[in-house]
Amino acid sequence: MPQTKVLLVDDEKEFASTLSERLCLRNFDAKAVFCAEDALSVIRHESPDVILLDLKLPGMSGMELIRTIKLYDHTIEIIVLTGHGKSTDEIMSIVFDYVVKPVHIKEILPRIERAAQQRKEALLESANVQE
Amino acid sequence: MEKIKKCLQTLCLFNLLAKPNVLSKTRYRRLKIAMILFISILSLIPFFIISGVSYYWLSNILKEDVSNQVKWQIESTRNSIEYFVDIKISTFKFITTKYDFSELSDQANLSKIFREIKEEFSDLVDLGLVDSGGIQKSYIGPYNLSGHDYSKEHWFHEVVVRGFYVSNVFIGDRQIPHFTIALKRDLPADGAFWILRAAIDMDTLNRFIAAIKLKENDDAFIIDHKGTLQTPSRFYGDVLKQYTQNIPLMQQGISMIEIETEKRGDMYFGYTYIKNTPWILSVLFEPTINSKVFQVFHNELLAIFLGSIILVIIVAIRMANIMVGRIEEADHERADALSEIEHSNKLASIGRLAAGVAHEINNPLAIINQKAGLMRDIIEMSEDSQHFEKFLQLIEDILNTVDRCRTITHRLLGFARRMDMTYEVLDINDVIKEVLGFLEKEISMRSVHLTQQFSKALPEVRSDKGQLQQVFLNIINNAVDAVEDNGFITIKTYVKDKDTVIADISDNGKGITKSELKHIFDPFFTTKDKDKGTGLGLSISYGIMKKLGGTISVDSKVDKGTTFIIEIPIKHAIIKEGGNASD
Repeated sequence: MPQTKVLLVDDEKEFASTLSERLCLRNFDAKAVFCAEDALSVIRHESPDVILLDLKLPGMSGMELIRTIKLYDHTIEIIVLTGHGKSTDEIMSIVFDYVVKPVHIKEILPRIERAAQQRKEALLESANVQE
Repeated sequence: MEKIKKCLQTLCLFNLLAKPNVLSKTRYRRLKIAMILFISILSLIPFFIISGVSYYWLSNILKEDVSNQVKWQIESTRNSIEYFVDIKISTFKFITTKYDFSELSDQANLSKIFREIKEEFSDLVDLGLVDSGGIQKSYIGPYNLSGHDYSKEHWFHEVVVRGFYVSNVFIGDRQIPHFTIALKRDLPADGAFWILRAAIDMDTLNRFIAAIKLKENDDAFIIDHKGTLQTPSRFYGDVLKQYTQNIPLMQQGISMIEIETEKRGDMYFGYTYIKNTPWILSVLFEPTINSKVFQVFHNELLAIFLGSIILVIIVAIRMANIMVGRIEEADHERADALSEIEHSNKLASIGRLAAGVAHEINNPLAIINQKAGLMRDIIEMSEDSQHFEKFLQLIEDILNTVDRCRTITHRLLGFARRMDMTYEVLDINDVIKEVLGFLEKEISMRSVHLTQQFSKALPEVRSDKGQLQQVFLNIINNAVDAVEDNGFITIKTYVKDKDTVIADISDNGKGITKSELKHIFDPFFTTKDKDKGTGLGLSISYGIMKKLGGTISVDSKVDKGTTFIIEIPIKHAIIKEGGNASD
């Protein structure tokens, strides 16, 4: 079974890189980027399964980025991971989950796995449809 | 600016500007007094004026009436005297035409005539005949006056000129006060004449005067043109004494003037000149109103006056009481509303501040969390560490501390609220019972006596179960913490009105002081030990109840206990999903 590809997008570099390192230790293919632009280029080149996304990013609003990602590939699952406890209906309807920092790795792992599972199922489904 | 404001405030009688002393007792008392005075004066002034004017007019009318009565009496007395004088003159005229000089010169004849007249006029004192030389030719009367020479007398000249003469009262040769009437009879030849002269008793005039009805302190008398009293006067003494006031001017008819007398001050003076005589009929009287009508009017006016004053004052006091009471009530209501607004504004801004701080702290907390987590990951993977256990323990401590911080920030952000944010139909009694389930252990452990007085007819409400549970949990938990072991807690539910149900949670704990009461809904305010409470429970409960459209209020007495009153709307409009985000 191929490694689940996880992309962390957070301008808190220390947080993002540490968490990605810990995810790698747990056998995920995790990568951290610190701005929206980098995030989009990684998405284009590597097509991650799950994105852990901070809503407050320099250059682009969280909502905008979520829409762009979903527009590019709606199967990519997004888990919002933010220090700011404000969610909106729109965000909640698009993203897979919404978690407020700080969060235990134990809490985040099952969410990533469920999200990855959902994506795989979505991909399979679309493959079946294509067939 | 401050000075201008102060001036304006002092200028304004009904100043209601919100000042701290606006609710002081003195201010309301002053306002009340001002109002009572204002109303009383305003309503009494027209009344005073009307009473005064009507009193003045009635007394004037009655005074007029009194003087009219006096006038009428003067007139009739004058007429009587004039008639009396006229009769005398005509009688004498008759005698002078009937008898000639020689007949009258005869003592016997004259005596006969005198007796005849005396029968008609008992006041006749004597009768005499005077010739053109002024010598008394014959005389009938009690005095011996025959041969008396009158040619130098004033009356003799008067009668020669005017034909007849009525004298003023004098003593004369007769030695008693009397007056005389003289009549000239011209003879056809050589311009000779003779005079018939009679003396009349002064008492006659007294009789006329006595006929005038007078009050006790009034005075009627006759004076001659020089002011000599012709009749006795109460004020100016006996006959022939001098009348000391100015002699009134000759006027047609009866005149009334006001004069100032030496003895009695201002009086009315009514007088009239008597025709063909040297006399002035005078009446001095006080225009005192003695009539019953006026007395009754006076008494009634006084009674109405006093009654009205009392009535007006009572009404004024009542009105002032009611109005000032209303004002006071309104002031208090407004002050309460202001402090309520102030309080909720304060809570809102504290809430925003707290949430802001929580947001900002979450990020560094996340970093600490991840770094410590990574450390543990690494240590757990490398098995050759010397201080393996120690490091793991330290990291565990760091993570626990981060957990503690996280609890705070998450609660601050109202994170718990977002969970299960759904409206459903609830029985508040059930919600409370479920919450009590969580607390059962502690309650029984501390042998707290819990009384549940749940209304059986409680309508179901549409609300958020999770949030209500959190509110009840917070408050019941506080009550349990507040009471001593074996303490009492009572939970009541009941219907307030058609829109609201109420849950009361009261305890008999140590109560909350007044200064603490102001802050109990502030975030981080707690009286509990550090490890027992974050000071967020009531703050969050307050926010939740506000969101749910209800209220939470508290009533507490130190050493008696505390009651929390939670009002829950029955059919509250559904809050938009997602609008429930933390603030």
